Amino acid sequence: MKSSFWFEISLARRFLEENKAQTMLIVLGIAIGVAVMVFLSALIDGLQANLIQKTVGRSAHLVVGSADYGAANASRARAEHRVLLQDNTQQNVAPMVEWRNVSAALAADSRIETVLPVVEGSGLIRRGQADCAIVLRGFDLQRGDRIYDLSNSIIAGSRNAPDGAVLIGKDLAEDLGITAGDPIQLELSGREALSILVDGVFDLGMSAANQRWLVMDQRQAAALLGTGDRITSIEIQVKQVFEAEKLAREWETHLPGYEIESWQESNASMLSALSSQSSSSYTIQFFVLLAVTLGVASVLAISAVQKSKQIGILKAMGIRTSSVARVFVFQGMTLGLLGILLGFGLGLAMSKAFIIFARQDYTLLMKPLTSAIIILTTMVAATLSAYLPARKVAQINPIEVIRNG
Amino acid sequence: MAEVLIKARGIVKDFGETVKTRVLFGIDLEVRAGEFASLIGASGSGKSTLLNIIGGLDRPTAGQVIIDGTDLGSLDDDGLALFRNQTMGFIFQSHFLLPQFTVLENVLIPYLIYAGRATPAAEKRALELLDRVGLNHRRDQRANAISGGEQQRAAIARALINQPQMILADEPTGNLDTSNTEKVFAMLREINLDLGASFIMVTHDRSLAARTDRVLEMSDGMII
Repeated sequence: MKSSFWFEISLARRFLEENKAQTMLIVLGIAIGVAVMVFLSALIDGLQANLIQKTVGRSAHLVVGSADYGAANASRARAEHRVLLQDNTQQNVAPMVEWRNVSAALAADSRIETVLPVVEGSGLIRRGQADCAIVLRGFDLQRGDRIYDLSNSIIAGSRNAPDGAVLIGKDLAEDLGITAGDPIQLELSGREALSILVDGVFDLGMSAANQRWLVMDQRQAAALLGTGDRITSIEIQVKQVFEAEKLAREWETHLPGYEIESWQESNASMLSALSSQSSSSYTIQFFVLLAVTLGVASVLAISAVQKSKQIGILKAMGIRTSSVARVFVFQGMTLGLLGILLGFGLGLAMSKAFIIFARQDYTLLMKPLTSAIIILTTMVAATLSAYLPARKVAQINPIEVIRNG
Repeated sequence: MAEVLIKARGIVKDFGETVKTRVLFGIDLEVRAGEFASLIGASGSGKSTLLNIIGGLDRPTAGQVIIDGTDLGSLDDDGLALFRNQTMGFIFQSHFLLPQFTVLENVLIPYLIYAGRATPAAEKRALELLDRVGLNHRRDQRANAISGGEQQRAAIARALINQPQMILADEPTGNLDTSNTEKVFAMLREINLDLGASFIMVTHDRSLAARTDRVLEMSDGMII
């Protein structure tokens, strides 16, 4: 480091201290810009993380199905949108025969958290005059807890019936006017109607599940559906949710004859909406930064011109042009740093206040990468807005000052 | 006879881009080490321009300035800046002290420009110089909080901090009243004798010029 550095630093400091009001004004300007960026980022990232958590939290990240049927069945198995009532349900339920080997192979992958074989079929529940379309889902309830957390979602009755519990969605129970302990008349396509007892009512927080699902143990469901030892799909939760798509494609090459749908695929429209939201937030932030930069640059340009006399005399005494330019760069960096510190405080306070006063139920999220980007771009903008207007002043010829002095 | 410190040969200076106005017409000048020369002449005769060229603040259109064996034309802008810093002291009509710094700090600035931070030795030298110009009691005051005469004396101390071989003074007493003029001139003369630095002083004051070692009179861009 050149020793002249210390003089440049002290000159920058004195210049900033000389006009404290102006310095404070610039710092405040930068701080407000940073605060807006922090506020927007924290809010939007928090909102999106919350949405994604709700989407992937209690649902399968990957659904493995047979290639001829997988996709359609998968979306239904995930119970996101609608139930397809099909006449030939039995054919649909049948295809996965080799599921034990496939499940074991999947479970051996360290990136996969939970593997849940599911047997599924559709049907109707009749009670009095009411007819409700349902999805019968059979899986190991213990293991299913790892994805759906059913144990903690029971709002009436119990999950622990001696010979396998029969559980029903909250909205479905309301539509039918029943609760735990009541019998229902179940009609599965191609099978005879039968009567079973409901042991418990669950609320999974997903309207599709609450409206349509009838859940029981895999063997019990298979017996009702008459599917024998075959299953419909394998549902998977992975450790890193955003790796789901990559894992799906990777496993598809290992499992010929199977189709794997990731949560990203089944939620493509939501993800694209989120990415549009992010883009518009970046656009706003860019223009905020631009406005701040222009404001800071114009104030610093005037301040640089005001100092041209002093710069001229320093140059007569032998200061280099590059040294003078660095003095302004240091001023810009100092202003940027102070603005960032103040701005982050202000922005986080604004976000907190917003959450409190707007009564939002999601938490703020300030990602380290986002913070780093805000800090970096603000520093660059502040430095440039100090340096660019000062370039001309740094090149001043001392005799211009002396002659007019 | 002392050796020649400043040698100017055939200095020509034109101003203007499209319409060129010649202000210096081939000036030859030599100043010896320790010599106190004064440069007088009417306004517009080219004295300040010549002083700026000798001081490396401006470059001649033609001709050569050699200071202590260094041809200023051979130096680039940064090289010239360093050379000015190490070899010359400047005193102008206006003091040009930096108001953001104290008197002591202002004196140290030419040293700090390259050294960055003041060593105890440099600080001691600055205090001695402040003593010499009678400003020791003002050293911690801001440069804009002292009187005009004091500011000019601080500027003199500043010109001396890097122990330059030559001092260029452009009307150093131009803004001062008679008593301050006398004080400042006496100070310059004393420094010249004590430290052995060469002086070139531009002035309007013929009586002041008469008290220097040599009077150079300029008229219409030539020394007469």
